[in-house]
Amino acid sequence: MQYISSSNFAKFLENLKDDYEVYIPVKKGDRYFYKKYIDFTDDIVIGEVRAFEPLKSFFFRAREIVAENFKSDIPHTSQKPYCIVGVKACDLKGFKIHDYVFKNHDFQDPFYINMRKDNLIISADCTSAIDTCFCLALNVKPYPLENFDINLSAVGEDFIVEVGSPKGKRFVEKYSSLFEEIKDKFLSQRNEQREKVTKAVEKNIKENKIPHQDLFKGIIERGYESDIWADEADKCVECGACNTICPTCHCFLLYDQKSENQMARLRIWDSCMIKDFAQVAGGANPRSELWMRLRNRFEKKFDFFPKVADIYACTGCGRCISACPAKIDIRKVLKRLVHDE
Amino acid sequence: MMNKIENPYRPIKAEIIGVITETPTIKTIRFKAKEPISFEAGQFIELTIPGIGEAPFTPSSKPAEKEVMELTVMKVGKVTEKIHELKNGDIVGVRGPFGKAYPIEKFKNKEILVVGGGCGFAPLRSLMYELFNRSGEFKKLFFRGGCKTPQELVYRTEIGDWVKRKDLDVKLTVDKSDSGWKGNVGVVTTILEDVDIDYKNAIAIVVGPPVMMKFSTKKLIEMGFKTENIYLSMEKNMSCGIGKCGHCRLGIYYVCKDGPVFSYDKIKDFSNIWE
Repeated sequence: MQYISSSNFAKFLENLKDDYEVYIPVKKGDRYFYKKYIDFTDDIVIGEVRAFEPLKSFFFRAREIVAENFKSDIPHTSQKPYCIVGVKACDLKGFKIHDYVFKNHDFQDPFYINMRKDNLIISADCTSAIDTCFCLALNVKPYPLENFDINLSAVGEDFIVEVGSPKGKRFVEKYSSLFEEIKDKFLSQRNEQREKVTKAVEKNIKENKIPHQDLFKGIIERGYESDIWADEADKCVECGACNTICPTCHCFLLYDQKSENQMARLRIWDSCMIKDFAQVAGGANPRSELWMRLRNRFEKKFDFFPKVADIYACTGCGRCISACPAKIDIRKVLKRLVHDE
Repeated sequence: MMNKIENPYRPIKAEIIGVITETPTIKTIRFKAKEPISFEAGQFIELTIPGIGEAPFTPSSKPAEKEVMELTVMKVGKVTEKIHELKNGDIVGVRGPFGKAYPIEKFKNKEILVVGGGCGFAPLRSLMYELFNRSGEFKKLFFRGGCKTPQELVYRTEIGDWVKRKDLDVKLTVDKSDSGWKGNVGVVTTILEDVDIDYKNAIAIVVGPPVMMKFSTKKLIEMGFKTENIYLSMEKNMSCGIGKCGHCRLGIYYVCKDGPVFSYDKIKDFSNIWE
């Protein structure tokens, strides 16, 4: 592990701009948003908590052209690969789901693969938690342990640097003059910090009685005919915010457009909460009722993914809780399912 | 940047070379793609109407025929309405084939009962041609078909030829007859029981509207067919064709890549499979 001062880190980012489109979180009010890095402005916050928008928006675009006319080439949208700074552990887990869906799942998706393959992920420890954070319930620590190239742990104004991949190592070596040897006191500072955030998330879990994922096995099958679904779906307005804001949701809609002599096929994020999501052209709809679609959303996350990919498709980021206008709370639904309430 | 993986979302250009009106609501279109597309019976393709959209169809033509493909299409929605307006020379797009075909190798030396309903005849036609092509490999072939009215019966001339085949036992039924109809009247399950077949070892293939598949499957199990020997072609909202867009999930499967052909034992425990 190494150490980098914030002024040297700014220089490091400046260098990375040659090869990457660098994005970094900035604080606006009490939220954090990724912004294209130009220089090290005061609103940049590397630590604290996850960004408002899910990391997937960089690699699986909300709207992109996937085919033009009958041309066989792959339309491109970005010039340089992305370097995303300040990514939190919950969003890194989202990569596991999306990598499975788009890379390792019988067929490959060239768009996602192109966006992912040359990127650089500079993650960061959470240095605080908000009340919707429950990552620990999903076995995700509030500090990255895997799936990053470089990880930063904020200590005071500066950072402890951990390398997580050969690519990350290359960059640290290339700009070695910017990095220093790490001092023991910083390491203990990091440990204290990590412990503090872990405790904050543990407090959330305790207060909301959120069950740990070790108790999730079979909850969907057991609760399949439960009244929980109709009860929880009662106030849903079918906006799909829970899906779009989710770092693991991957469903999309393909649609075609025509203008003059040009044709384009686009894909946009889709939502399984919307009525016609599974409807066939003849009109048959396997999930005609809203509560069936809510159940389906949970089935996909907590039954399908663990069965096919040995992973729960939830990161405990809590975004869907804040996004839902009907206040449908994933933590409460899980609690009800586990305890059969 | 190098792109070694093919773009799975782009259609191949194809030209319409024939349109046959089968019934007032069903047409068969013939088209020739710029690149040859070979498929196996049971697989499906996505047909694009340029600028409008695409929809999944199982080809109704012979799998062995690589140059020209046929689709039999019922007018039910936005894309199929446009398909019904197609004329010779029009350009369409094709993606695929997608999904798993009928495991015909497993049917060797077995008796095969094919049950078709309504527009389910379309995907079955390609299968029937494949079975006829290899009919020496099977013990016996039966076809039981049902549709609502005699007017809705597709491929009349061909079915007339099927009746004459020595390697096939054909029986048809309609829910509601008219003065010209000489066959059975009643739903398709009413003509399943007279099949002289060793139920315990025979293969059944069922394709048709969900309710028809549901009751036919139930009937076949009552008759003694094993769940692993009943093959169903499931219709879900297949869109991307490669198990990514999420629309056609059925339990732990995506119908587009793990199906559309499933043996009943694989899917029987999932809920709402017939809806």
